[in-house]
Amino acid sequence: MYFYLSPVYYLAQEAAEGFSVVALANQLVNGIGIVGILLLTGLGLAITFGVMRIINLAHGEFIMLGAYTTFVLQSAFNLDLLLTIPFAFIITAAIGALVEISIIRRLYGRPLETLLATWGLSIVLQGVIKLIFTAQLKYVRSPSYISGNLTLLKDAQGTPTVAISYYRLFIVIVALALLALTGYLLYRTNLGRQVRAVTQNRSMAQCLGVNTSLVDMATFAYGCGLAGVAGAVISSLKSVAPPMGQDYLVDAWMTVVTGGVDRLVGVLAGAFLIGESNATIAYLLNDPTARVIVLFAVIILIRYKPEGLFSIQKRG
Amino acid sequence: MNKPNRSPIFGGYSRRKFIKYGSLAVGTGILAACSGGATSTGDEDLGENPIKVGVMYSTTGTIAIVEKSLQDATFLALEQINTNTGPWEGNGEGIEGRKIQKVVVNPDSNWDLYNQMSKRLIDEDQVVCVLGCYTSASRKSVLPVFEEKDSILYYPVYYEGNECSSNVFYTGAAPNQQITDSIPYCYENFGPRGFFIGSDYIYPKESNRIAKAELETAGGTVVGDEYAALGTTEFITIINKIKQAKPDFVLSNLVGDSIPAFYRQYKDAGITADQIPIMAYPTTEEEIQAMGPEYAEGHYTSFNYFQTVDTPENKAFVQQFKEKFGDSRVTNGVMEAAYLQTFFMAQAMQKILKEGGEINTKTLREATRGQTFNAPQGLVKIDPENYHTYLYSRIGKWGSDGQAEIVFSTPAAVKPIPWSQVLYKGRTCVHGSPDGRENPIKETGKDLETKYLEKT
Repeated sequence: MYFYLSPVYYLAQEAAEGFSVVALANQLVNGIGIVGILLLTGLGLAITFGVMRIINLAHGEFIMLGAYTTFVLQSAFNLDLLLTIPFAFIITAAIGALVEISIIRRLYGRPLETLLATWGLSIVLQGVIKLIFTAQLKYVRSPSYISGNLTLLKDAQGTPTVAISYYRLFIVIVALALLALTGYLLYRTNLGRQVRAVTQNRSMAQCLGVNTSLVDMATFAYGCGLAGVAGAVISSLKSVAPPMGQDYLVDAWMTVVTGGVDRLVGVLAGAFLIGESNATIAYLLNDPTARVIVLFAVIILIRYKPEGLFSIQKRG
Repeated sequence: MNKPNRSPIFGGYSRRKFIKYGSLAVGTGILAACSGGATSTGDEDLGENPIKVGVMYSTTGTIAIVEKSLQDATFLALEQINTNTGPWEGNGEGIEGRKIQKVVVNPDSNWDLYNQMSKRLIDEDQVVCVLGCYTSASRKSVLPVFEEKDSILYYPVYYEGNECSSNVFYTGAAPNQQITDSIPYCYENFGPRGFFIGSDYIYPKESNRIAKAELETAGGTVVGDEYAALGTTEFITIINKIKQAKPDFVLSNLVGDSIPAFYRQYKDAGITADQIPIMAYPTTEEEIQAMGPEYAEGHYTSFNYFQTVDTPENKAFVQQFKEKFGDSRVTNGVMEAAYLQTFFMAQAMQKILKEGGEINTKTLREATRGQTFNAPQGLVKIDPENYHTYLYSRIGKWGSDGQAEIVFSTPAAVKPIPWSQVLYKGRTCVHGSPDGRENPIKETGKDLETKYLEKT
């Protein structure tokens, strides 16, 4: 009879076999770690795509550049990972500014060209890094004071059943802090007001005396800097290699597009939704299946709600 | 003057357009990759009438990190053959005076490109044979080309077996040279309960299937079987499942970038090597160096070769490799296979030329089978019957310096058997005659015993 079991029934059976409430709780807690990474990598894109509407396919490479900055500083000056974060921000932001001046600026309003240019840029950046550092995987040491696990629940024998590593929590905290900072900059400061003015009505902003090209450059550089911070923080969890950014590109896009590109809170919602549903499905079934299901769900969502979950209602 | 009220950067396009442009970009990307990977021949002086050999490894894309190191090892061997140094010392420059001209292609980690580029190497560049490929997917992609055009591929990677072609010389481990000894070792030293993980494609799945059968034959059980998408660097779920199942050991067939990420997150999750050790097949010195030695300390790898193998040939190999590519580089088992197979090829060519023959597929096949070579791992030989290679089987325990302490080694190189004898009892590969290309898979019905290479 087993031959006739439908795949769905088979999957459901498999899911039922391994089920345990405590383990699922552990998985959901650990899903926060995935949410943190998605949030961190999606945030920079929420600026460049969400605010500026630039399709930046080199976003992953800015993450990679941040990771390499950390690697270089750590191997040359033995700098602690936390101390390399500001440098990662400054360096990737500077490169971002250069890119804006030399490439992006000339392509505003031409999304197809921007897409191709940034995609080419991603290949160039990978190639340059490969020339400088070779294709070898590099590694970054994580700070010893953020090691170990936070235990939330123990079983009868005292072994932790629900626990999350401090480093994952650290990533979440960094991501939330950056989100708050970005929100503050964008909605509470004069610069943020200028950014929003420029992106909403460029010519009017120009008439009112806003230096639009400077605002554009600063905004794009800030988005790239955020990607750099993401790279620096993630580097010690994984390993550093030229193609590493590619892994995050799709996830970052998925996060931003699902949440809604107009609002920062959308990134948080997108990251939470994708991260936690991924963790739950992966626990019940397995990782590759979870990825397929989540991607499929995102496609359906975009089909019926193309503006994402959270979006400003625009007048027609 | 009915200008739209939107700025060009804000409202110029919709999501649907973005998706359209996105697919366009991907299409263009494929085109760009096809036209890329230019043939390069190097600019060294190759004298008269060089022998053209294809070198096909990806130096870009996801698999580039490891394939680039295979290419490095191949280049080192070719340079030694052309300059009369290293193991080639005393043979003269080149092969009987003819130098090897390498025709290098880069298939960009794209299986289709392997297929196209092997066609190009054989048809347009007219190489006599090709050194290359890493993943099973790439080998499966080029296999029909080599069989149809009757050309020869030297393939340097441990693989899942179940294959038998008269157009491929397999110089990496067959299942019985990597899995067969490691599973009883795990059973005896760690315990009967294994948790199997791997990347989600043919090699890890098949390799784990063989290992599962071996473990069950030994009396153990598999308490979990999990796969991660190729290139994944997120292992929270799998590690949680391992924690829940509490196995005696983990058998890892993860490959590529996933390896450092997994070991790091494994330690990060608080599991030590004393509690649940990891036995891995694809984790080599290269990945250990990339994750930082402290994450692998106490875990195990089963391989034919480690940088710590104590032979004069290996000391010379490690030294020469570091001289050419830098002190920070490490050597590993796959690189060693890429290195030794180049000498198998050169020795075969030398034999043909000495006997006054012409180098073509037929003579090369005939001359390669049965070749022996004092490789860094020890004396190895190409089995004249199944075109796989007699190799040592070893288990290394990783130390704090990123190097392996060899805790198990066979007394001599083991005869390769491409089919796991637990799953396919008595099935093996026998090429009846050197140029016979009829079905070489033989069902002997007998238990095939482990045979060692006799030292002559």
